[in-house]
Order: sequence, then C-alpha cells, then structure tokens
Amino acid sequence: MLGRDELERYDRQIMIKGLGEEGQEKLKRAKVFIAGAGGLGSPVSIYLTAVGVGTIRVVDHQRVELSNLNRQVLHWDEDIGKRKIDSALEKLGRLNQSVKLEATEETITEANVSQLVADYDLIVDAMDNLPARYILNKAALERNIPFFHGAVYGFEGRAMTIIPGQTACLRCLYRGVVPREKFPVIGVTPAVIGCIQATEVIKYIVGIGELLTNRLLTFDGLHMRFTEFKVKKDPSCEHCSHLASKE
Amino acid sequence: MSIKINVSLFLHQYTNGREVVEVNGSTVGQCLDHLVKQFPGIEQWLFDNNGKLHSYITLYVNGRSAYPEELAKPVKSGDELNILFMVDGG
Repeated sequence: MLGRDELERYDRQIMIKGLGEEGQEKLKRAKVFIAGAGGLGSPVSIYLTAVGVGTIRVVDHQRVELSNLNRQVLHWDEDIGKRKIDSALEKLGRLNQSVKLEATEETITEANVSQLVADYDLIVDAMDNLPARYILNKAALERNIPFFHGAVYGFEGRAMTIIPGQTACLRCLYRGVVPREKFPVIGVTPAVIGCIQATEVIKYIVGIGELLTNRLLTFDGLHMRFTEFKVKKDPSCEHCSHLASKE
Repeated sequence: MSIKINVSLFLHQYTNGREVVEVNGSTVGQCLDHLVKQFPGIEQWLFDNNGKLHSYITLYVNGRSAYPEELAKPVKSGDELNILFMVDGG
C-alpha cells in the first residue's frame, strides 16, 4: 500500500499507462543488486532510487579517486579517498529516504557471488571487467535471477537483458576477454547505457513493454547511432546450455 | 560480390576513420581478408598470429550473430557484415 507522500512523489510515473499504483507497489517490493558504483552504477542507482525501488544493494570495493569524477556522478570532489559505497549511499539516501539502501565493500568472486546475490530479485551488471561480469552471469543463471548487462568504451556502449532459462546469456554473446588496459570513457556514455539498464529493470519489475532480450543494443555516441543485433542462445554455451529451457 | 562492412567505433582508427568499407567475398572470412588488404593495420585486432579470429571480436551478418564458424559463413552481394569489438568498461 502506498502512502500519501509516495503517491505524490511518484505521481508522474503512476500516470503512465501500464504502471499505475500497482506497478509502483511492485517497484517498492523489489530488491535490486547493483554490482559496481562507478560510471554505470551511478546512473543505474540514481534512477532506481528516484523511481522508488524498495531495496537497493550496491557492491563495490574501490575508493573514490579524482580520475573517477568525469563520469561517476555519484561521487564528488569532497568524496575523494572515501569508500565508493559510503559516497554512494550518502547521495542516494538524500535523494530518496524511503528506499532501503544497503552496501557491501567486496570484490565479487566465484567464492562469494552466490551468497552476495542470494536475496535479490534482479542483478545489474555495472562492472568494469569481463571476468567479473562472467561470474555474475553464471550466478544469475544458477539462481534464476534476471541480469541486466551494460558496458562502455569511449563513446561506445552495449546493453542486453538476460532472463535465465529463456534468453541468450552474456556467455552466449561473448566468449573471450578484452586485453586489459585503462579504458577511455566520457561520462555521457555510461549515462546513456546506465539509463538503458535502469529502464530495463523498471520494465521487468513492473511487467510492461518489451525487454532487450536476445538483442544486443549498441550505442555509438560519435555518430549518434543505436544498432540492434540478434543474439541466439548458444546450444553449447558453457554457462547456460545445461539449464532447463523455460521458453 | 559487394558486401558492406560496418566497423565499430573503436576500429575506425584502423580504417582511416571509415565507418563503412565495401569488400568482395563469398564468405565472411574472404570479406575480412579483403578488408585487411585495404587496411592492413586492422589485421592485428581481428586475428591472432595463427590467423584465428580474436575472441573479443564478434561478427554479425545482416544483424544476426555469425557465431559459430563465423569465417566460413556464406555471404552474398548486398549483405551487411558488422564487426563489433567487445567492450567491458563500466
């Protein structure tokens, strides 16, 4: 049941056909796990906090550095040296006090991932490396938790939504890793991709629209072009081929 | 057999800034060979020393994933091939 303040706060989105008070209540009941509080994690967590997701857990193990501030808009000059999770929770708490915010300072590993994501309904991939993304992908599949992928490089971005047992997973899409390097990025790129991920999360929770499943969306900010590619479940995928199909 | 290759943004630096390159070939592999002939600098980003496609390159023919056996996939005149460089920043 939504209170008077909630009805007022979320009035403009409750007006959206297909969302309504029922959708807002679904958002309030949802528990979202956001892996990363950096360039992607910032817009994802800001918009999911603003929209009224009931519980949000942010996981990150880094501290704020000056070189983060061109894109990681949750963190400001005054936060340099602080733990990113502390900086994030402080801002998100000021944005919307009714959201239950949780944070964990951890590096996501194969050993801890299952326990970290256990109590959550959705996982957002806001990581900055593929090995960690693969760990999350596998855990999401094993625990049957929808997984919302996003990645950026310079002015380029990618996004795809994964529903375990039903759609292509991250490992169906990618099999290798990118050579490690300090990657270039401008803040507007994770802003675009993070907002796409947050949009997907909201749609999934409310149950409206068409998800970005079996489709890789690419963003080229320099030419301002979005392109969509069809992706199929890989029958020999080492992460998802053994799972019973729910198609 | 004219095939249009759309090169993802990161790789434009190896195609003299060109987003689209016209090539000839009847398989994806032949098209990539023709691309490399025109822009030799791109080869190191597409293939390893054994001529195998790097695992961080994904290929799409007319918007559909060419995986598996990408290089052997047949193409015909008018087809579009997209080369995507895997990105993983966040």
